Amino acid sequence: MKKKKKRLALILAAAGCILLIYFCTVLGAASVSLGDVNRILLHEIFHMPVDMEGISAGSIAIIRDVRLPRVLLGFLTGAALAVCGASYQGIFKNPMADPYILGISSGAALGAAIGIVLHFSGNIAGLSGTAFLAFAGALLTVFLVYSISRTGRKVPIASLILSGIAVNQSLSAFMSLIMLFHQQSMDQIMFWTMGSLNGKGWNQIFTILPYVILGVILLMTSARELDIMLLGEDTAVQLGVNVEFVKKKVLIVSSIVTAAVVSATGIIGFVGLLVPHVVRLFTGPKHRVLMPVSLLFGGTFLILCDTAARSMITQEIPVGIITAAFGGPFFLYLLWKSRRGGAAG
Amino acid sequence: MSKEMLKMTEVTAGYGEKKVLKGISVTIRQGEFVSLIGSNGAGKSTLLKCVSGLLPAESGEILLCGRDNRVLKPKERARLAAVVPQSYGVEYAFTAEDVVAMGRYPYQGFGRHESGADEEEVRRAMEVTNTLEFQNRLYNELSGGEKQRVILARALAQQPEILLLDEPTSALDIHHQTEVMELITKLNREQGLTVLAVLHDVNMASRYCGRMILLKDGRLAADGEPHQIVTKKNMEALYQMKILIRENPLFHKPEIVPIRVLREKRAGRPLRVHVICGGGGAVKIIEELDDRGYELTAGVVNMGSGDCEICRYLQIPHVEIPPFTPVTAKDQERNLALMEDAEVILVSDVPFGRNNLENLRGLERVKGKIFFHKNALSGDYTGGSLVKRLQELGEQKQICYFGDHDEFLGMLQKLSGKEG
Repeated sequence: MKKKKKRLALILAAAGCILLIYFCTVLGAASVSLGDVNRILLHEIFHMPVDMEGISAGSIAIIRDVRLPRVLLGFLTGAALAVCGASYQGIFKNPMADPYILGISSGAALGAAIGIVLHFSGNIAGLSGTAFLAFAGALLTVFLVYSISRTGRKVPIASLILSGIAVNQSLSAFMSLIMLFHQQSMDQIMFWTMGSLNGKGWNQIFTILPYVILGVILLMTSARELDIMLLGEDTAVQLGVNVEFVKKKVLIVSSIVTAAVVSATGIIGFVGLLVPHVVRLFTGPKHRVLMPVSLLFGGTFLILCDTAARSMITQEIPVGIITAAFGGPFFLYLLWKSRRGGAAG
Repeated sequence: MSKEMLKMTEVTAGYGEKKVLKGISVTIRQGEFVSLIGSNGAGKSTLLKCVSGLLPAESGEILLCGRDNRVLKPKERARLAAVVPQSYGVEYAFTAEDVVAMGRYPYQGFGRHESGADEEEVRRAMEVTNTLEFQNRLYNELSGGEKQRVILARALAQQPEILLLDEPTSALDIHHQTEVMELITKLNREQGLTVLAVLHDVNMASRYCGRMILLKDGRLAADGEPHQIVTKKNMEALYQMKILIRENPLFHKPEIVPIRVLREKRAGRPLRVHVICGGGGAVKIIEELDDRGYELTAGVVNMGSGDCEICRYLQIPHVEIPPFTPVTAKDQERNLALMEDAEVILVSDVPFGRNNLENLRGLERVKGKIFFHKNALSGDYTGGSLVKRLQELGEQKQICYFGDHDEFLGMLQKLSGKEG
C-alpha cells in the first residue's frame, strides 16, 4: 500500500517534469505561438505527419535546435548533479558535501582556462577542445585527491575532504594566475566558471547522455548501501556492506558523471548541494526514494533557473548565478521552516 | 560437546605499531553467554572488532562457525555475527523500522528490494524486543533504552549465529541496563543464541553470564565461571584498588564492592590491634585500620553481623559465634588467645548486654593497652554490670576513653609514630 502510493507520487512528479519541459520550451524571447510550437515538436521530434505550412524556418530552428535541446540539457545537468550530490552526501556523511567537494570544479576550470587561452579548438572524442581539457582536468584532480588521501586499501573520508579543499585552493590559484597573464581571455574564463546552458545544443546532450544514464543507474544500485552507511562506516561493515567498494564506486562514478556534465556546461553551483537537502526534507533519508526524486527535482530546478536566466532581462545571465541567488534563500527558508515545524531534515 | 561458534587461535591484532591483542586463544560454544571484562585498553573491543571484520587479525586464526574469518565475504560474516555497539545516534531521519530493516541487508541480493520474508523477520525481531509499538517513530527521537532495543532488534533481524555486544548498556540508566540484559538473557535461554558481550560492569557480567573471560594487556588472564573470575585477587589487579567480594544473596553470584582507591597515610609502625566488637558499629574502623596497615584481630562477633562480614571479607582472624547466642567462657578464651600479642585493644562502639559482657573478662591478663569507645557506655544494657566491670578493670589497667573513631585513629597514629 505504502509502496504503491510512493510509486504513484513518483509517476506524477515525472509527468510534471515533462509538462515543465514543455512550458519552458514554449517560453522565450522570440515569440513562437503555442500552436506552432506544438506542431514543430510533433513534426520534428516525434516525426508525426503534421502540417507544417505557415511556420518559418527560423521558428523551427529556434524550437528544434535552440530551446528544446537547451531545456533538455538543463534537465540532464540538474538531474545528474543532484544525484551525484545525493550520493556524495551519503558517503561523506557530511551535509556540506556536493559534487565539487573533491576539487572537480577547480580542476575543470583550470582545464577550461588552459583550453581557452591556448585557443585549443580541436575535436577530441566528440568534445570541443576546451570541454575535453575541462573533462581531463576534472578527472585528474579527483585522481590526485584520491591518491593523496588513500592509506593502504582504505580511503578515510576526513582526509578526502581535507585534501579536496587543499587541491581546490591551489588549482584556483593557478587559474587566477592564468587569468592574470591573459587578461584578454578573462571574461570568457569567468563566464565559463559561472556555468551556462547558452549556445549548447544536441551535441552536448548526446555527448553526456551515456555518462549520465549509466552513472545514475550505477549510483542508484547502491541506494541500500548508502542508507546503511549513514549509520556510520563501522556499523555498515558489520551489517555486511563492502564499504570501501561502495565508496570507491560512488567516488569514481560520480566524478566521471560530474566531470562530463561540467565539461559541457561549466560550473553550475548549488544544484548538487541544495537539491538533495531539499528533497530529503520531504522524502526522508532513504536513497531509494531520495535519488529518483532528486533527479526529477534537480532537473526541474535547473530548467526553471535557466528559463529565468534567459528571460529575466535582455542580457543572458549565467545560470550558475541564478541557482545560487534563488537556491540559497530558498534553502534557508526550508531550513528555518523545518526547524520550527520540528520535521527532521 | 556443542558446536564451536567462535574459535580464536593465537590471534594478534593492533593499530599500526601498537599491538593490542597479543595472542588470544579462546573457544565459544553454541548457547554460551560469555562476557569479556578487563580494564580500558586491555583489548576487549579490539577483539570484537577482529571478529566482526572491522580489523584484520595480524596473525593467528579466527573461525566463525568453523569458517575462516579472513575469507568470509562481508555479507556472509553479517549473517553469522551481529554486533550491538554502545548506544549511538543517527543524524538522519530514519524510523525505528527503517533501522531494523537494515539488518536484513546481508540476505538481500544485488539491488533487490525487501521480500515478504524480510518484512516478516523484521516484525518478529521488533516483537521480541518490544519495539513494535514505536516502529514508525523516528529513531532519533527515541530514548536511550528504546534506541538500544531497536539496535538489538536490528542485530536479531540479521539472524546471527552469534551476537556480539560492545558495552551495550554503558550509556543507559539502571532500569534500561537491566532491561537490555534481561532481554539478551531471555534470547540466550529461550532461543539458544550464543552471546559474547564486552561489559564494563563486573557485577552485571557476574549476574547474567555463565562464563567470564578476563583480558589483561592483550592476553587472556582468566577464563571460567563467575566464582572463578570474580575473586579478590583478580579484581584488585584489574581495578588497581581495594575491593570487597561478596556473595550476592539474591542471585547467588559473586559481586564486587569497590572500597577505595586513595589510601590514607600508612601507620608509622603497623601495630597489632585487637578489636572487640560484635554488632555493626566497628565496620568502618576495621576497614580503616586495615587500610592503614595495622595488623588486626577481632572478636567475639556474631555471625551475620556487619562486623563479622567485614572480618571475613578482609580475612581478619576473628572469633565468631552463632547469632543471638551468649559469649561463653570458652569463646572468650579463644578471643583472649587472639589478643595475646595485641599491643592495642580497642573496645569499639558496641552495645553491651548480658550476652556479650563476657567479652570484657580477662582483659587484665593481656598486655595490650585498652581504648574504650564512650558510646559503649551509653548503650549499656547490663543493668550496671558494665560500669562495675570497667571499674574493676580500671583498677588494674589504664583505660583510655575516647569519643569517636577519628579521635582513636589520632591517638593510635601518635602511638605508632612514637614507638616507631
